[in-house]
Amino acid sequence: MTKVSCRDPNLVMRLARLGSIHQSRLSFMRILTRRMAREGWRFEQTAFEIDASGVGHAVYTAHGPDRSYSLIAFAHDLPAEKRSDRVIAEAWDATFTLFDGIPTLDDISRLSQNIPLQEAGRVSGTELSVSRANRSVRLWEHVVSALASGKQPSADQIDAVGYLMRTTAVYGSGKLGAADREMIADRPEFHAPFQVEMLSVYLTRWFVTDLVQHMANIRAAETGATAEQLDADLARSMGIGNSTGLGMAPFLLNHPVLFNNWVAAREQAIQAVRQVEWATDEDIALFKHLLDRSKQTIATWHSEHPIQIDKLSALRADVVLVTSYLVQADLSASHPWDALYRWAEETLSLEGQEWIASLMLEPYGALVDDMSSGMAADNTATFRIAGAMSIGDLRALLADVYTWAIETNWAAPENKARAWYVSEEKLEPRLGERFEEPIEEYEQPLAPGRDAAALFNALAHWPDEAQVSDFLLRHPEHRHVLRRAQIVGRAPYAEIRDNTISDRVLPIDMLRCKLAFFGATKFDPRSDRWVRICMYGNAPFPLELTQDNADFWVYPDQEEAKA
Amino acid sequence: MSHSLNEIEAMSKRAGRGAGLSWGLAEEAAKGTRWLSAFGFPGTELLADLLELNDRIPPIDVSPVSLSAEVWHAPARRMSPLIAGASLSDCAVRLLDRGTITMENVSLPLLAVPFMGGAALRLGVPVAVEWVGARLATDGKQLCVQASPEALEARQAQKLVFSAPADMSGRREPVLRADVSEESWDRLAAFAHRTFAPATEESRLRGAGAGLSDND
Repeated sequence: MTKVSCRDPNLVMRLARLGSIHQSRLSFMRILTRRMAREGWRFEQTAFEIDASGVGHAVYTAHGPDRSYSLIAFAHDLPAEKRSDRVIAEAWDATFTLFDGIPTLDDISRLSQNIPLQEAGRVSGTELSVSRANRSVRLWEHVVSALASGKQPSADQIDAVGYLMRTTAVYGSGKLGAADREMIADRPEFHAPFQVEMLSVYLTRWFVTDLVQHMANIRAAETGATAEQLDADLARSMGIGNSTGLGMAPFLLNHPVLFNNWVAAREQAIQAVRQVEWATDEDIALFKHLLDRSKQTIATWHSEHPIQIDKLSALRADVVLVTSYLVQADLSASHPWDALYRWAEETLSLEGQEWIASLMLEPYGALVDDMSSGMAADNTATFRIAGAMSIGDLRALLADVYTWAIETNWAAPENKARAWYVSEEKLEPRLGERFEEPIEEYEQPLAPGRDAAALFNALAHWPDEAQVSDFLLRHPEHRHVLRRAQIVGRAPYAEIRDNTISDRVLPIDMLRCKLAFFGATKFDPRSDRWVRICMYGNAPFPLELTQDNADFWVYPDQEEAKA
Repeated sequence: MSHSLNEIEAMSKRAGRGAGLSWGLAEEAAKGTRWLSAFGFPGTELLADLLELNDRIPPIDVSPVSLSAEVWHAPARRMSPLIAGASLSDCAVRLLDRGTITMENVSLPLLAVPFMGGAALRLGVPVAVEWVGARLATDGKQLCVQASPEALEARQAQKLVFSAPADMSGRREPVLRADVSEESWDRLAAFAHRTFAPATEESRLRGAGAGLSDND
């Protein structure tokens, strides 16, 4: 049997590759829809009290085997000049909370005073998330006016945007007073990461579809007409957008064990599939079928950003190469996936390699889906520093994990041109120019490479047999990165092995990586630090969810795409 | 007001940093304050007291002179419970070898208690601490408290003795929610504010890399 190793962290944990990751079976949205279908979750709309101006609230409840969860949505009439996706916005088209259970009228009344305020409001331990969304002004108006005038909206216009509303923040885990993750982490439905947030967005998509129909009905009624019902296939083709800035980048650096567990699960899955000795005809057929469907996503993936345009053009060239490879390759030979992967690594762009690496997991749910159980993290055990470690061992660890950083010239301005900081304006995370703006004294510890190299140099005159505890007593300034180094020693995929403050850093690489683990597609950078995506595009709506459609919805149906 | 433990941890970390602690020690302060809050102690008040007491002073002045000394003491004759506590956690193995670690003149001794939890988890045996009027023991998950309210609120402990392994009796389970006084929250927020860059038009336009309006 061929022994395939997990991919080397020095290969995987580079920003350019992390910024090319694609969704997979282990993505958090797909983990959620598979579970809800398998367990036969039941869904209902229990309130829709929205007036003719589009203001009011609605409640959507999901009933699982043991517990129910309700999305409480508040719809607002937002003046255009206030519509901003940034953290510093203070009003939105719609605001939401995922409630633990079924809310009473008192709960809804209390939350109506707080959820619309977002960060300026307070919630309690019965609320699991707080989020908000803005309309895609173009598509919203097009859909409302088309339906109100008795027509279906244009499929081309829908494809060009992909969503009616985009969320601009989904806060969970204790934010604004909500329940800590620790309060719910022992519930099976929330064991995998970000299931609260993914459920909230899934129900939000249902609400948004109802709201756009409601607004079309009202507009039609004003002229004594009846609006058209939005076609179910068109509705399903739309997801929920998401507009994401720099907040996600520090998240990956601030949760190294969690990040390790996500990447390690996917890497173990890739390893397991590469070790498959013989693929059955069914496995091969499913792979090829989903590959064809996946090509639709790539074909309709738009971006105006030069970086992504280049990556997309490489990916489209890769699609041609993969297609011709599969014409001549024999997938019924031994270890077909390892051969495919090794060919991809030699031949394709990073986008293409990660696309194939994710896609070849698809026929092997029985082999890889359980790996999602290792994706959560409890940091308690890894937070404490092992003070008895010798300086010699620490030195060796640093030299192994942070080779690239130790070899970097940190005196060169271009290698530390940027600094991460938090603005006092609603605590918005930002990235500034160290040598041009007065921000360095506010710098966040988000440059582990630079800090690890500094630690390595500070150890130079310490003897190998000295202990870490004695070093830290003299040098508390190295405590943060020393803790990281020890974590990475146990969790090799915990660290981004790249420069996060150079003049060439692209924060969108970090955002893309996190969003790919969520299950997002069609990444559309707006700048080097801002990205829009689509979530749940093509997914069955809650009332349509079955075990037959719970898994592969992320790949557009070919018949539908042609129609 | 009821706060989540994550809020307490995030606020404490920023406040610790704002008061001049290194990031690594600010993280210790944050975990410790969260831990105390989870056991119903006024963690945020204690932390605010300590940060005001030691605001921006060099850490070396309130750190143990040596970890191999018979009794840990600080040059300033006033030892930070965060720095000494973090060192205690770092010295978990040494604590078990020696049986006890004694510290002198520790400010706000309750703030040193959470670090026993880390040591206990690392060692797999309970760790206890005693000072006049108080004995606390933990296995990292549960806490036993035998102490007078005055002792728990002590401004300084002349002598603090940590020991391992220790006996556990009268266990207390952590809670997952904490009541925080507004007053202590505001005091921590004042320290935290020092870590935020002032709002400027340039920062607003450049720093986030996105437009201010999204009417598309």
